[in-house]
Amino acid sequence: MRIGIVCPYSFDVPGGVQNHVMDLAEALIGLGHEVSVLAPADEDAPLPPYVVSAGRAVPLPYNGSVARIAFGPVSTARVRRWITRGDFDVLHVHEPLTLSLSMVAVLCARGPVVATFHTAMTRSRVLAAAQGVLQIVLERITARIAVSALARKVQVEHMDGGAVEIPNGVAVAKFTGTQPLPDWPGECAPGRGGTLGFLGRFTEARKGFPVLRDAFVALARERPGLRLLVAGPGDPDDLYDPLPADLRDRVTFLGLVSEEDKARMLRSVHLYVAPNTGGESFGMILTEALAAGTTVVASDLDAFRRVLDGGRAGRLFRTGDPAALRSALVELLDDPAHRAALTACGDQVVANFDWPVVARRVLEVYAAAIEATDGRVIDQEWVGLG
Amino acid sequence: MPGMWWVVSATLAVALVAAYLVWTAGRVERLQSRAELAARALDAHLLRRAAAAAVLAERRYGVELYAAARIALDAGPEEREAAENDLTRQLRTVRLDPSDPECEAVIAASRRLALARQVHTDLVRDARSARSRPLVRLLRMGRRHAWPRYFDIDDPTLTVPVDVPAG
Repeated sequence: MRIGIVCPYSFDVPGGVQNHVMDLAEALIGLGHEVSVLAPADEDAPLPPYVVSAGRAVPLPYNGSVARIAFGPVSTARVRRWITRGDFDVLHVHEPLTLSLSMVAVLCARGPVVATFHTAMTRSRVLAAAQGVLQIVLERITARIAVSALARKVQVEHMDGGAVEIPNGVAVAKFTGTQPLPDWPGECAPGRGGTLGFLGRFTEARKGFPVLRDAFVALARERPGLRLLVAGPGDPDDLYDPLPADLRDRVTFLGLVSEEDKARMLRSVHLYVAPNTGGESFGMILTEALAAGTTVVASDLDAFRRVLDGGRAGRLFRTGDPAALRSALVELLDDPAHRAALTACGDQVVANFDWPVVARRVLEVYAAAIEATDGRVIDQEWVGLG
Repeated sequence: MPGMWWVVSATLAVALVAAYLVWTAGRVERLQSRAELAARALDAHLLRRAAAAAVLAERRYGVELYAAARIALDAGPEEREAAENDLTRQLRTVRLDPSDPECEAVIAASRRLALARQVHTDLVRDARSARSRPLVRLLRMGRRHAWPRYFDIDDPTLTVPVDVPAG
């Protein structure tokens, strides 16, 4: 199959959508399909061979963050040329409701169009003002995919339509094949030692880092050798200041890590802790930790409960409760057999999220879209006759 | 010459209205024919699932499942939705083993049917909303096509118990 994928955000900056697009494209290529990805990129940026640049992206404040996107007549011309040259069986756009390449591609193309909705955002303000445009974009999409139950709910409730829920994949091989960081995770015996991990914005309230910090402080005093490894964007002072001075040397901060180091970091801890207090739509990091073969301790949010198969693939504790987290940590650190049982179960769960498995499900959606449309993807006059 | 301006603006207005009408007619036509293609695809997947279920029933699960599959295959348009729901219910009562090729065929057909149903529902909704616009109704655009109809069945996805050891 010839597949054209449009990524709205520039590959120069790492992000969830970009990673998803790259992993999906590589998985589809691995299954023997021809894939071309159109994305904004600087002229001299190093790109994977399957990516076509649609020109430089401009930073634009959007929905509370800065998105680097391309939009306008030059981008439109490139999108149309790419569609014409590509001769695709199916066009797969990501986040088509952002003002971006994806939207341009949807408006330019006729034929089988599949759209993936990542964020659980409702209508953006720009588009709320242009209801008619939104309708025209949605009308051209043949099949919709939502990456989480929450994103799907938004589709059903606000966009007048259903969507197939296909979760984010995990490139399992990237996580199993790496070595832990040197000197980590160290010893872990009953009553002493052990390493906890946390990854993410520790200053953001909904990530729940204070819950982990309280549990760690209480536990570290009675458990010699207990260490905490933290990675993520943020100022080290915000991390260390709230900690008691005598425990600071037992917390290691890695800063913002690359995808590669993320995998190594996840393999460098005995327990990965996800103390989130809400707002997490899928829990990507949990599947990554499971893929790395690390035992997961997570708050019992709906999304986490679902990923962890109701608690069989990881230990759940009451959301926002440091005491509950602390007793879960003690229990697991003292019991390697229990940890092994959880990770064995995690391996099976994560097999369902492996990219080749996920990509096959996406291919079934492509087939459904192709059946409901006549012909291939063709370029047409913008806002042309129907 | 003030008369000249009247002529120019009237011509321009007529041209704009005409362009909008042609565009709307094309849009209705496109949505309509897409809904029809989706209905055809849905029909094909319904037949495929019923056939796969009949094959399986003949070999393993006996008369009730076979009867449900036959009824679904033979149902007329009026009772088809009920017959398909009945088949889904029957399939849910039997224990399907994903490693068996005939069971796997039924599971895969059900999964594909679920996608076809989803796509069909979305496209019918788009076609109906385009056709219920006042202007479209007034000018009776799309009258060459039947009014698009939903196919109202339960989600046919079969959940296969994942074999995970108790932790």
